Amino acid sequence: MLVIVALSFSLAIMISIPAGVIANQESTQNLTRNLNSTIIETEQQINQSTTLIECTTSTGSMFSGPPSDMSGFPSSGMNRSGFSFTREEFYMNESVVGNIGSIAGVKDVVPFLVKSSSETTQETITTPMGDFTMSRPLYTITGVCLNSSFIDEYSVLPTNITAGRNLREGDSGVLLMSLNLSKYYGIGVGNEVDVNGTSFTVVGIYDQAGQNSMETRGVYMNLTDAQTITNEIGNVSRLDLYAENVSVVDTINTQIQSMYSNEINAREISVSTYADRLANLQSQQTRYTELLNNAESTVAQTQSVATQEIIVALAATSLIVLFVMLYTVRERTKEIGTLKAIGFSNWSVMSQFMLEGVILSLAAGVVGIGIATVGAPILSGVLLPAVNPFGSRSTGFQTGGLGTVASLGSSTASAVVTPTIMLLALGAAVLLGAVGSLYPAWRASRTRPAEAMRYE
Amino acid sequence: MSEAVTEAVLKTEKVTKVYTMGKREVRALSDLNLQVNRGEFVAIMGPSGSGKTTLLNVLGCLDKPTAGKVVLDGVDVSKLPEGELYKIRRNKIGFIFQTFNLLPYLSACENVELPMENTKRPKNERRQRARELLKLVGLSGREDHRPQKLSAGEQQRVAIARAMANDPAIILADEPTGNLDTQNKHEVVRLLANLNINRGTTIVIVSHDSQVASHTERMLLLKDGRIAKEKQGLHLVKKKLMCPYCGSKIQPNDEKCPSCKKRL
Repeated sequence: MLVIVALSFSLAIMISIPAGVIANQESTQNLTRNLNSTIIETEQQINQSTTLIECTTSTGSMFSGPPSDMSGFPSSGMNRSGFSFTREEFYMNESVVGNIGSIAGVKDVVPFLVKSSSETTQETITTPMGDFTMSRPLYTITGVCLNSSFIDEYSVLPTNITAGRNLREGDSGVLLMSLNLSKYYGIGVGNEVDVNGTSFTVVGIYDQAGQNSMETRGVYMNLTDAQTITNEIGNVSRLDLYAENVSVVDTINTQIQSMYSNEINAREISVSTYADRLANLQSQQTRYTELLNNAESTVAQTQSVATQEIIVALAATSLIVLFVMLYTVRERTKEIGTLKAIGFSNWSVMSQFMLEGVILSLAAGVVGIGIATVGAPILSGVLLPAVNPFGSRSTGFQTGGLGTVASLGSSTASAVVTPTIMLLALGAAVLLGAVGSLYPAWRASRTRPAEAMRYE
Repeated sequence: MSEAVTEAVLKTEKVTKVYTMGKREVRALSDLNLQVNRGEFVAIMGPSGSGKTTLLNVLGCLDKPTAGKVVLDGVDVSKLPEGELYKIRRNKIGFIFQTFNLLPYLSACENVELPMENTKRPKNERRQRARELLKLVGLSGREDHRPQKLSAGEQQRVAIARAMANDPAIILADEPTGNLDTQNKHEVVRLLANLNINRGTTIVIVSHDSQVASHTERMLLLKDGRIAKEKQGLHLVKKKLMCPYCGSKIQPNDEKCPSCKKRL
């Protein structure tokens, strides 16, 4: 019985390791896919808006923004002792809209107000370097200037509406809510919700699938409503400035830079053009490549560890079979002698004991599969190094940024024992049983029949 | 059995067996000549160390003689390689052991079937024969019992049935009553005697129990690896259906003599 337990554990380990390796490879593939799709998505957004110049205030959008927002991956403001966001908030006065709008070549200026809700939640993020608990706003309020020409021409509102309708010109006292926030509250279209003390009606639910989970918790509403409830009357946090054509973008940029040089130098306002965003994307891509390389090298490491461990497990399994069968053969010398005395050939005695070893190992294999099916994630977690895209440098986490951590979280696959692995394991059990019992069975077949005569 | 038939089933010619123990040589059998005829019931007796077990091993093809010839049912087995010997053991010899040597995890019936495994006999026929043999040794109804559920005497009777499974030319029994009480001892000896009378089975018993040996027809006394003495046993008289004590007529299955009431 004890033997079966030991054997099945050794086989369970043998099964869990490949399951773990496959899971790690899957994680890396998921990571690659997530990062690539993020890049492609962002690139599409950038290419769609070559005439767009973004003016964002420093409070801007730590976590959120309209679909065109590029700053989804803030690069500062976090430390490992808990995440704290201590940057001072800064808002532009709406008069800026007029000032910028009067620059020659500017077609439209779309104002936004993005502000965090006063409610916060405690959240734990699991990363390869440990768990991080952080407090962050429950959701983001985005005020949008609901001018129908803006809505029609530019991407100012979410596009993927899963229930109800999108916002439209003239909407007031209503809001658009993200899918996960509506799930969080358990409310849907038509319900009344309280935002910073004011009651709103939910007219639609949007889903920003594809973007990382940190960004999708938000509400969209009329700009004036947003200003009122956040106590920012007359203030905006971001302007989307559209040039008449691509050729005038640089001229406009230069003018804005000179008009607001103080604010820009103080990092209260940041301005980004198509070219800036493209450059930003490229630096992001470089960072992602680094992450992927790290992940792949850890997978390679994992595989070499796995190979070693599998060899040990294989050896252990066949050694256990060997010793058990040697013991059995010794115990049953008289029986073997009897069999030979009554006319069993060497070969039939040998195959009898081989069969016994195989059955023993097979039984253990079945139990081992049972253990592995339940325990593979734990066993492979204990036995294999985790995929770590940040390499050994913990600072990698900081440069990696929040967005990456979030997309990593969804890319981690856990070890699963597939039917293929089960079949392979049974095959291995048969083989190991045969290998392990080969010598004992041979010993048995060499037993002299006269041993049967010995008295106990 | 007519005494006119004196065909040798087993014959040894100058069989010698030497064991080497370190530097010392032990001569267990020396130039031993022996003949057992078909249908005979023979006992080999002798003090311990006289070479009884060695002789039985050599006769049973469990061990090879150092020199000399062993002819079993017309085949010189002393020259055969192990690859052939197991067939001789399976087809021509039936073994009975002192400690019964039944396989504990098999039923009585399966134990009897065991020697028939690896033979051409079909499975159902093997089972059929095993049941018949168990009936012959008086164990009908106990076919499916495991050895530990059977008494010592019953176990030895299963072993006798097993020894007869392949209709061997000779049955070799090594102290078959050594582990039995008096009652069972008598039953087993009587069973062997009856098999010899009724079925003509050739039986060689090795025993140091003179009471057991006296029930055979010929007793060979082994001493220092040679046959030192030969005696007639009671069985010879019994075979002639005559009470060995009072000379009155008896039946083969009688337990006691009908006239003098002595145990046969």
